[in-house]
Amino acid sequence: MSGIKVEQFTQAVGNADEINELLRRYGVKFGIYKNGVFKEQFFPFDPIPRVINAEDFKSIEKGLVQRVDALNRFLFDIYHEKNIVKDGIVPEDFIYISSGYLAQCEGISPAKGIYSHISGIDLVQGKDGEWYILEDNLRIPSGASYPLIARELTRIACPDVFAENNVTDNRNYADLLKETMENVNCGGIRAILTPGRYNAAYFEHSYLAEHTGSVLVQNDELFVEDNILYHRTYSGGKTRIGVLYRRIADEYLDPLTFLPESLIGIPNLMEAYRAGNVAIINAPGNGVADDKGIYYFVPKMIEYYLGEKPILKNAPTYLPFYEEDRKYVLENIGKLVIKDVAEAGGYGVVFGSDLSDEKLEEFRQTIIAEPRRFIAQEVIDFLDLPILEGGETVMRKADLRAFVLSGKETKVWASGLTRFSRNPDSFVVNSSQGGGFKDTWVLSR
Amino acid sequence: MRNVNFSFTTKITFDDYVHDHSFALRIIPPETENQHIVSYDVKISPFVSTQQTTDAFGNNVTAGYLRNEHRFLDFEIRGRAEVNSEIKRTDYMPCYLYKSELTAPDEELAAFYAENRDRCSSTDPDTRAEFFSGLLSETMTYQKGVTDTDTTAAAAFKRRSGVCQDFSHVLISLLRMDGIAARYIAGLAFCDGETHAWVEYWNGSCWNGIDPANNCRTDDGYLVVSQGRDFRDCAVDRGVMFGGYSRQLHLVRTELK
Repeated sequence: MSGIKVEQFTQAVGNADEINELLRRYGVKFGIYKNGVFKEQFFPFDPIPRVINAEDFKSIEKGLVQRVDALNRFLFDIYHEKNIVKDGIVPEDFIYISSGYLAQCEGISPAKGIYSHISGIDLVQGKDGEWYILEDNLRIPSGASYPLIARELTRIACPDVFAENNVTDNRNYADLLKETMENVNCGGIRAILTPGRYNAAYFEHSYLAEHTGSVLVQNDELFVEDNILYHRTYSGGKTRIGVLYRRIADEYLDPLTFLPESLIGIPNLMEAYRAGNVAIINAPGNGVADDKGIYYFVPKMIEYYLGEKPILKNAPTYLPFYEEDRKYVLENIGKLVIKDVAEAGGYGVVFGSDLSDEKLEEFRQTIIAEPRRFIAQEVIDFLDLPILEGGETVMRKADLRAFVLSGKETKVWASGLTRFSRNPDSFVVNSSQGGGFKDTWVLSR
Repeated sequence: MRNVNFSFTTKITFDDYVHDHSFALRIIPPETENQHIVSYDVKISPFVSTQQTTDAFGNNVTAGYLRNEHRFLDFEIRGRAEVNSEIKRTDYMPCYLYKSELTAPDEELAAFYAENRDRCSSTDPDTRAEFFSGLLSETMTYQKGVTDTDTTAAAAFKRRSGVCQDFSHVLISLLRMDGIAARYIAGLAFCDGETHAWVEYWNGSCWNGIDPANNCRTDDGYLVVSQGRDFRDCAVDRGVMFGGYSRQLHLVRTELK
């Protein structure tokens, strides 16, 4: 713990239950769908922070900036010249069978050429100390507000701890976000579009709107006239929106371009966007770059677009699409983790070691039949982190979602969301699978 | 080369007032390598200010927003064009090789393809496109009123009947399974009082047109209005409105002379 005594800190923070009670009162929850039923669930906070020392963070930071810059270049390329496909680096199939590729976005040039303004990159630290990228989230990555508010509460409980331990202040997230939004503003106010309070991340939408000085809006307050996006004001007037941070999925964004049955979208938003009259954060169509099938190619993208060696490693990944990889996967399926490229949020992830021989054979056949649908990865033995459970410290698997903001420059927020699995045997740490979270301390020296 | 006069009129009537009505029309034929739009005039009623953009597939989009209450939306385009089908278009997009919402095959259509693909021994895309179009005209019957604009290729094929839209969707599905890129064309054709639909396929270096509903090649009598992966990308009008209406009446009349 880099010289910080866990006991000392947790004592100072006081009872974890007390903090969780405060979080509950603040409304820090996330929603979850199960069997068609909407449920709001508390996202439990663990008071023992994850600590990343200054040197480690510096290298993670460089690696993340490099990765996100390459991903942005890739997105621009895919929706314009497609050189990376023509040059044979990424097979055409992987682009066009991806559900995240949206042909409707072909030829659109978003303001300043930025597609992924807010990237949530999931990493884990292996027992060997090395950091590995698990997943890129370039659509609407959520979760930044949890560590923010947890930090706020722990700061109140024990103000000295942060100064004494040289913890980098993470309260600048809202400023970074505001800067990122302003950088692409096409003339008008900033707005955050939420599908409403039944959304899993509604708490976060309102929190970020308040802290960035943006208007929190729902679709029925918005309309497009003369290819300009407006907010309807109470007095019956209209205010132009120059940048829209939308927290609804691409497919629902504009019923006249995407799903006609969408009731949460804004008709003709895509026309205003194509005309360059409004910026959409993140750009529609980003799903093609954070597809699990494309993940394999990100290190190649870094070399292709930036001419640099990747600083951060991918988890060792195999594409059954390639014969050699398929052979390896079929032979070693029992020790690999298999991911369905079309699924997200911890769904469609299968550990070979959990399957019976019969199921394994069935899975092999599925892979042979649909090799493009899956990727396979070595299970990384990642570092366990201590969490408090019933007054005792136990070790659990945890990952880190780092937030990278692409404004005038690409910046990594010196904090992040550390999520842990509550189940001692589980590697899946997604909040939608019932995990908890921790604050992430980045030390300034 | 042929000079054509074209017109296209649509009347949408609601049985009650609607408001906050956003629409996107794809009615202005695109200027392409083989069709030159000499002049055109668009009239939209009630009066509304509109904006033009070009979408991902090269279509002209006319977008508008009617805030106040109204009970109808009429739009009309009249114009003159020069069509020269001797010249071939080359605006390729890889997405035309992959399945789309309305053209994705089901098991039955995939099986039909598998059974028949080897009956044509040629590997030449032109020959194969003609083969599949011929096959469809033997397999499916032209019948109005049994399908609608949301009908998928698979559903139309299951009932072995439909209109030009359905024939086009099924042919596109077959061609894409065959590894030939194909796109949906919505347009106007001679001998047709309604909008027509046909298919363009990529023969390796350019697009060639084929009309599966009539099992023939397209010529200077076909005017392209819009194009895309399937009908969804080409809808003449798409709109979203609010109000207590329960149905809308759609009247379309086209003319190509």
